[in-house]
Amino acid sequence: MFSTREIYWNVGHSVLIPMYLFAFIAISILFYGFYKRYKVYKKGKPENRFDNIFQRLKYFLSNLFLQRKVLKVLSVGSIHALLFWSFLILFIGTTLIFIQADILNPLFGFKFLKGNFYKLFSLALDLAGFVAIVAVLTFIVRRFIIKPNGLETTKDDIIIHTLLLIILFSGFIVEGLRIAQTEINLENNLKLFSPIGMLFSNFFTTLSENSLLISHKLVWWAHFIFSIIFISVIPYLKLRHIFTTPTNYFFKDYRPKGKLATIDIEDESREVFGVNDIKEYTWKDIFDSDACTKCKRCQDSCPAYSTKKPLSPMKVVNDINKISFNFAEHNSLIDVVGRDAIWSCTTCMACQEACPADIEHIRKIIDMRRYLVLMDGEFPGEEVQLSINNIEVNGNPFGNSFADREKWIEGSGVTLLSEDSNVDIMYFVGCYASYDPRNIKIAKSFIKICESAHIKVGLLGKEEKCCGDPARKIGNEYLYQMIAKENIENINKYNIKKIVTTCPHCFNTLSKDYKDLGLTAEVVPYIKYISQLIKENKIHLQKQNFDCTYHDSCYVGRYNNLFEEQRNIIKLLGGNLKEMEKHHLESFCCGGGGGRIIADEKLGEKISVKRIEMAKATGQPIIVSNCPFCLTMFEDGIKIAEYEHLLKTKDIAELIEEHIENRGH
Amino acid sequence: MKILVSIKQVPDLESRFKLNEKGNWVVESDLAFRLNEYDEYAIEEAVRLKEKIGTDDVDITVLSIGPERVKEVIKKALAMGIDRGIYIKDNEAFSKDPFRIATIIHECVKDHGYDIIFTGMQSNDRSSCQVGVFLGELLGISTITTIIGFEYNNNVVTVKRELEGGKKMVLKCRLPLLLTCQLGLNTPRYPTLPNIMKAKKKEIKEYDVNDFDKITNNITITKLNYPEKKSKAEFLEGSVSDIAPKLVKIIKSKI
Repeated sequence: MFSTREIYWNVGHSVLIPMYLFAFIAISILFYGFYKRYKVYKKGKPENRFDNIFQRLKYFLSNLFLQRKVLKVLSVGSIHALLFWSFLILFIGTTLIFIQADILNPLFGFKFLKGNFYKLFSLALDLAGFVAIVAVLTFIVRRFIIKPNGLETTKDDIIIHTLLLIILFSGFIVEGLRIAQTEINLENNLKLFSPIGMLFSNFFTTLSENSLLISHKLVWWAHFIFSIIFISVIPYLKLRHIFTTPTNYFFKDYRPKGKLATIDIEDESREVFGVNDIKEYTWKDIFDSDACTKCKRCQDSCPAYSTKKPLSPMKVVNDINKISFNFAEHNSLIDVVGRDAIWSCTTCMACQEACPADIEHIRKIIDMRRYLVLMDGEFPGEEVQLSINNIEVNGNPFGNSFADREKWIEGSGVTLLSEDSNVDIMYFVGCYASYDPRNIKIAKSFIKICESAHIKVGLLGKEEKCCGDPARKIGNEYLYQMIAKENIENINKYNIKKIVTTCPHCFNTLSKDYKDLGLTAEVVPYIKYISQLIKENKIHLQKQNFDCTYHDSCYVGRYNNLFEEQRNIIKLLGGNLKEMEKHHLESFCCGGGGGRIIADEKLGEKISVKRIEMAKATGQPIIVSNCPFCLTMFEDGIKIAEYEHLLKTKDIAELIEEHIENRGH
Repeated sequence: MKILVSIKQVPDLESRFKLNEKGNWVVESDLAFRLNEYDEYAIEEAVRLKEKIGTDDVDITVLSIGPERVKEVIKKALAMGIDRGIYIKDNEAFSKDPFRIATIIHECVKDHGYDIIFTGMQSNDRSSCQVGVFLGELLGISTITTIIGFEYNNNVVTVKRELEGGKKMVLKCRLPLLLTCQLGLNTPRYPTLPNIMKAKKKEIKEYDVNDFDKITNNITITKLNYPEKKSKAEFLEGSVSDIAPKLVKIIKSKI
């Protein structure tokens, strides 16, 4: 005799009709729920997320089944992954039963759940159920007893955890009752392949046969009804993430990281710029908000949130969700999210990097800023409006004369493109390295490095203007496009092929955003450029031991995945590098991105000080960085924290210049 | 109600100023130009009045004199909410004295019948504080200078103006009148994008200065000079042990 069990034992095949009827109803409720949500997604503007279908499918499958993004936080992520995998096994098991009992057996008299395969099937499902119970209990302990900081618990969570526990336990009780009646006294070892079921059956051995059979029937129905309820409530509770989160993997943003949509400011039919009404978002923004599980990873990684500012990327996304699905249509999104939250973002991308659902927080925040600036003429403060005016008039946020932009090159022998455009590279200096005394040193170091490699560098000089990053990130798309177009016109005028930047913000703006406005030249960040020169043996460096820590700027690190070149250079120079608490993709912003560099930090603690504390904790005397905003923020942070005697800032260009071997060319 | 706002485009004060060959004005090539700060208050107050009374009942005109680049500030004023512009082309505007400029404006607008004229109390570049006052006089209307508060009720205007020594004065006056605006009157708005786009379609009437230029200069600039350097700051850099003796030396040399 084969090892197997009778499907629909005790409950009988007469349950089929009510069972399928209920299942049909549940699935209808599920579809109706998602259909209603689909109609809300459709309120958003169109956006194509169906290109690169195969790439999308691959990414979707690998993240769904391997739980890759979820597992980035190993502790709680692995519990989620175990729960997912165990439910996947239970789902496959149920499907197999359905295929055998309701299709193959009645139609062809064919059964495959028998023999060793049945044993494997039985064991796998039993263990999966056990793992699922352990996972759910762990989640319950975490959420309701440990209560991690910032984790928001709603009635959804109570319902979901209760449902899961009822379904899993009732499943084992049904199995235990069945085993108590049919398997427990058998001579064979079949029951050993249902270890948990066997464990449960021990509680029922004293019951009479009659009560066993009745209890089994009752609990079978209970298990079924709760499973059906579970399925039908998916779209109405946070459970919807079972569908929306993986789907969001499919809809991943494949544009260059951090690239913002360029608004057509000449479009005269357009009456609204930016977003204050969810209908101004694209459908993907609304869908994003439905893919959120409130896992709070974005919030945990947010430099604004962790310095007690009123911004939580999670809350922003959930406010969008609330307005999209519950509130009246005329509600102002900006009022709900709050101006202070909107202005606090540094666009550091830590939230998006941390998000296991691939939600795109930053462009949503920028869209609201665009509304505030372009529609209401609002800024986070008078100092910002002043800087914006300065950019408008003089092409730099400081308000210095545009003609003084080339003042730092006096006596340095650098070529101005207006005098000679036959150069190897054009150096886009940026405002800070042009005007700010601390950052002028970086420009000079870069020029010296290029000189030692016999590279002829050309500058736009006073024809260069702010790249537009602070203006654009604060929401002033109009001003950004005005100055971007002027810059592009000037660059194209000299037929430039290659541009090198020392500022990561200039780099991102020129290499990604300017593409939409007609810049064709190749743009390279100095780290990559110098790294190449070293590889080509054009720069000769002297090794000299020193201790340091390294800060990954957001716009070179997270935005461009450039991490190892800098570290290799530091090693090559003789640097003993000790990493800070947060580095590489998890690096902690200096506080200067997202246009915050031109705004006063009035709320909460200083982000720069928090980062400086992390640097100080390494015990290293130097913090090396690669961005003028970071350098400026750190100079500030060191002064505020009074660590001048402990910590010095250095840009990587300064470091390299100090180590150049003079071979007397 | 018809309102006029008279504005000027001025070099940004942070610019690198270089004297021209004759030494009677500055070289323009390295200058960044912007809307005169005080004229911004004038524009803002006019637009606020229009918003208060009702947009259909008020028509605001902005006027400026100068070379082509001056149109930029007219456009900015239109983007801030002014209804129409008058541009008087004059490449030599810099060489004309305040009375001559006021006369040109007067010749242009004397028949327009404005109820209120707003203008800045002075310009950032010449700071003569005269054009507004002359214009009021030429038009024969009441003129109130350096206002820091403005209220309008049934043809009566209540203004607050700054006096010497921190004292303030409140005046009531009937229309028509001319007001020159001082810092503190308001915070000028930032033009919104829809208004910038609307401004592109607004009318700017262009005239040549010769149509209105009836007199000659009373004042001619013969020579400009750079300000004399009277004091300078010196930054001592280095460690405390380096700086301290240097500082002692400097202090000793001064006593």
